Amino acid sequence: MKKILLYLEGNRAQELSLLGACERMVEHQDHRITAVGIKDTLPSGNSLYDEIIQIDDSIKAYDTLQLCELLEQLHLKHSYDIILFPASPLGRILAPRLAIVLHTGLVADVTDIVVNGDVIEMVRPAYSGKLMAQIISTSKGPLMMTVRSGVFTSKSTMLKETQYTSFNSVTQGSKISLLETHDKPSSKDIRDSKVLISGGGGVLEHFDRLHELAFVLNAQVSASRRVVDSGVVQRKIQVGQSGKTVSPKLYIALGISGSVQHIEGLKNVETIIAVNTNKHAPICSLATIVVEGDAVAFIEKLLNKIKITV
Amino acid sequence: MKIICLIKFVPNMEDFKYDYERNVLIRDKMNQILNPEDACAVAFALSVKKVEPSTEIEVVCMGPQNTIPKLEDLLRLNVNQATLISDPAFAGSDTYATSKVLARYLEQKPYDLILTGTHTLDGDTSHVPAQVAQWLKLPHLSNIIRIQNDNIDSGRLELSVDHEDKIMTYALSLPAVLSLQKDCPYKLPYVRYEDLNKKVSDRLHVVNCLDLGLSRDEVGFDGSKTKVIKTFVKPMTRQDKLEVFNDETGIQVVYDFLKEKGYLS
Ligand SMILES: Cc1cc2nc3c(=O)[nH]c(=O)nc-3n(C[C@H](O)[C@H](O)[C@H](O)COP(=O)(O)OP(=O)(O)OC[C@H]3O[C@@H](n4cnc5c(N)ncnc54)[C@H](O)[C@@H]3O)c2cc1C
Ligand SMILES: Nc1ncnc2c1ncn2[C@@H]1O[C@H](COP(=O)(O)O)[C@@H](O)[C@H]1O
Repeated sequence: MKKILLYLEGNRAQELSLLGACERMVEHQDHRITAVGIKDTLPSGNSLYDEIIQIDDSIKAYDTLQLCELLEQLHLKHSYDIILFPASPLGRILAPRLAIVLHTGLVADVTDIVVNGDVIEMVRPAYSGKLMAQIISTSKGPLMMTVRSGVFTSKSTMLKETQYTSFNSVTQGSKISLLETHDKPSSKDIRDSKVLISGGGGVLEHFDRLHELAFVLNAQVSASRRVVDSGVVQRKIQVGQSGKTVSPKLYIALGISGSVQHIEGLKNVETIIAVNTNKHAPICSLATIVVEGDAVAFIEKLLNKIKITV
Repeated sequence: MKIICLIKFVPNMEDFKYDYERNVLIRDKMNQILNPEDACAVAFALSVKKVEPSTEIEVVCMGPQNTIPKLEDLLRLNVNQATLISDPAFAGSDTYATSKVLARYLEQKPYDLILTGTHTLDGDTSHVPAQVAQWLKLPHLSNIIRIQNDNIDSGRLELSVDHEDKIMTYALSLPAVLSLQKDCPYKLPYVRYEDLNKKVSDRLHVVNCLDLGLSRDEVGFDGSKTKVIKTFVKPMTRQDKLEVFNDETGIQVVYDFLKEKGYLS
């Protein structure tokens, strides 16, 4: 039986990605999934995990020195075959420590997994995303990787009768303390936005509707030059060769054809959703999802769906 | 106060060249630059030295011999000492082996603070600083955007960390490993014109595998725990493209996607 340990931080999207990665590796094998994390960040009741191990909240998530010691003890007790961490700011500095004490390899930011017989090959971007590398672990220790949220998805919906345990150990006093937390001032620059709702010639007459969608998706609004030239919006939100270069994770292109000059402004965009009456518009060849149809009607329908469901 | 900065020279991504037929990176066509975040780390160390001139700064780089002229340039910027850890046996080291080599050197040295970048432009793992910290059993924080630079000698530091949508301020006791992020305000100056040819080689030391008391099978390919079996460029066209209509099914597909990826909370 494969024993898997997932480190959780209380972020649902992260959890689904980690579970999705597990499913890729052990789908047809007997396995047991354990989640570990600091008490308040973990699910309660029946869950998608066979076991949940709660760490007492006297240990702080940012004290990776202490957490690593604890996870080491946990592994010594249970000998996991696979250990996964979210590729979050803290996950990315906790996982490497554990890899050292367990004398095993670690692959960062895995975006794809290929199972080749008994060998698990992990794919990750390198050289600022310009190159992909396929990596295997050559050590006898557990297989370790960090996984970005949103990369994998979990198909499992069956809740298990989760067994709950707590795990604490005496660790030395912490060398780090948190003094204060500030929310980041929200920037109005489209280059800082993780999600952009972008409109072009196809939504010229109803451009205001984009803001409603932007609001529920916590996004900013941007535009193609067509819209800027027609005076509907200011140049500072123009994407493209004579506008700004943007790298959002998600770019929703509403009624934009995707001219070369416009595409020039899209760098390292993870996902494009294109809504266009013409599914052969150039932007559609770059999109992950193409919705063929009227963009204004799309906004309306999607907003309805979100309002009903949330 | 003794500060050690771990630095690495990386290919300049602006002139990324790829041999599509052989599926390899054309490294010799790429210019090497100091990893931008490591430059921030050195710049911060220099700012401490400006306030407290008795501060000693050492830069440590594990890499090939051809980085020597670049290290010499840092010595022309008021850095006290440069150490190049270099040996053909180190080739192929993954982060486990790299951090082991760096830690082996560091454990023989006195220091109060070890500064690094959060991640490099080439490997981009951000493993090395955390792993060095673990070998040395030191506290560590990354994504640092500001460190208060007065009163460092007290052995207690205050610093700010960029934590996605939040900025956290921490207090931490030294010694520690601190990794800076590129959005910090510390910028490296240019070498002054009159210093361009200044002799600095007496302050540069090269250390090899034997000097560190490491055996060859502990480093390089043999000492690594991971192996790259293949590299490739991302296919330009997407195979996973979904085409839908603007109807109930289409909207459900988009909605599920947004939900799954965490865009709708
Ligand atoms: C030197 C130079 C620099 C330039 N720089 C930029 C730049 O920085 N940024 C930029 O954007 N452009 C730039 N351009 C202009 C660029 O060439 C295009 O003209 C412009 O991007 C077109 O914008 P569009 O796709 O929004 O509009 P259109 O070309 O009018 O396309 C509209 C799209 O909407 C679709 N559509 C129509 N009705 C609907 C509907 N009801 N629902 C859904 N879809 C619908 C159509 O099928 C079409 O695909 C530049 C041009 C030059 C010469
Ligand atoms: N070969 C090396 N020599 C010295 N420092 C390094 C080396 N590799 C990585 N580092 C340090 O570790 C940081 C993160 O690198 P990486 O783990 O490769 O993303 C860099 O910004 C450097 O400060």
